[in-house]
Amino acid sequence: MSCQYTQATSVDEAVSALIEAKGEAHLIAGGVALVILMNEKLVEPSWLIDISRIEALRGIDRLPDGTVRIGAAVTHREVAGSDIIAEAFAMVPEMAAEIACGRIMNKGTIGGNICLADPQGDPPIAMLALDATMRAAGPNGTRDIPVREFFVDLYTTALGEDELLQEILIPPMKENSVTAFGKYAARKAMDYTSTISVAVRLIRNKSSGNFDEISLGFGGVGQTPVYSEEIEEILTGTAPSDALFEDVRSKLFNVLEPIDDHLYSANYKRHVSAVTLRRTIMKAYDGTWDGEGVLIR
Amino acid sequence: MTMEVTLNVNGHEHKFAVEPTETVVSILRDRLELTGTHKDCSMGVCGACTVLLNGQPVSSCLLLAPQADNQEIRTVESLEEDGKLSPLQEAFLTFGAVQCGYCTPGFLMTATALLEENPDPDRKEILEALKGNLCRCTGYKKIIEAVESAIGR
Repeated sequence: MSCQYTQATSVDEAVSALIEAKGEAHLIAGGVALVILMNEKLVEPSWLIDISRIEALRGIDRLPDGTVRIGAAVTHREVAGSDIIAEAFAMVPEMAAEIACGRIMNKGTIGGNICLADPQGDPPIAMLALDATMRAAGPNGTRDIPVREFFVDLYTTALGEDELLQEILIPPMKENSVTAFGKYAARKAMDYTSTISVAVRLIRNKSSGNFDEISLGFGGVGQTPVYSEEIEEILTGTAPSDALFEDVRSKLFNVLEPIDDHLYSANYKRHVSAVTLRRTIMKAYDGTWDGEGVLIR
Repeated sequence: MTMEVTLNVNGHEHKFAVEPTETVVSILRDRLELTGTHKDCSMGVCGACTVLLNGQPVSSCLLLAPQADNQEIRTVESLEEDGKLSPLQEAFLTFGAVQCGYCTPGFLMTATALLEENPDPDRKEILEALKGNLCRCTGYKKIIEAVESAIGR
């Protein structure tokens, strides 16, 4: 099948092509997910719109209010090496550094990964835990979509067919917030099979040791990247304990809806997700501990 | 549609009329007959087709020709100069880091990029750099030793 190719040089040009294509175009940035699907003949694009050379989709900046802006076409390599991001949200570069392997990090983009909306993607759940905003560009300018409204179904986002993700805006965290990212994978590299991941942002109360606030993202356990206000509410205002995590574990069995696959059963994934959650929470929590004693065995 | 792309491959410019969906690995192998870049999984997983795009390793099976338009590509064929193998290639021979040879070009290009970016990597950094390349013959030990021995040469 013949395919049209638009090398867009501006967001407007890309949006114009999207409008003209009436939903028939595929956006390509790094191509590390799309071209796999093309090689497998699962996608046969009739129109590709290349957005990787649009200057407005690049760059990592800290805005005056502390918000960190990441252009949609910023590569995983750039995210992993960004001091601006590392200073603001420690888990994000750590997460990016563990995506696939170096040669995929060199081409794959954070925006492409988020827009793929793969339930096993790592950037999406980091953004869920950080309450990021997805800024879309479309025919009427830009539109801000809260990340918790962005992932609507399997490989489906809230973007309209004439919209593209322009940038990701991560709001500054409140004082004393800490973050951590945890991943369970069969292999350290190229973990394209089943992975379970958890992203955590929390504030630990300095006197009580309770979680004053906690925000979570779960990967590999549903149709989309997943968050759960129910689980966050259970944890908020409590201190970590065996009983608390057992409660969370049993609730997670109802909340999470992973699929059985050739490696793991759905229930095994629920179990691993609960264990990964506990470990990742404690990774973040211990980092804020400035007193004595350990609450968790 | 057919479009024209210009690829700078190993220091030489080539113009091609391509379908936009044509991958760089296909162009290298089928049009330029640079068959040192191996095609295997076509999913970016195995690393056999690794080339350097502007000095950085990428999977050429996941790189469409227009994505590489006016960019610099280096393949394994660029490592040998005037009939002389690169120190890394020599090290692969010395350490027996080659058995069937299918993965070798990918390892060589990944390790070449590592040593250009970080001339004195420790073992952990070597393992990290090579973690995405699969070898089903030698078991990696000899490959890692070969890279270590090529440091500073």
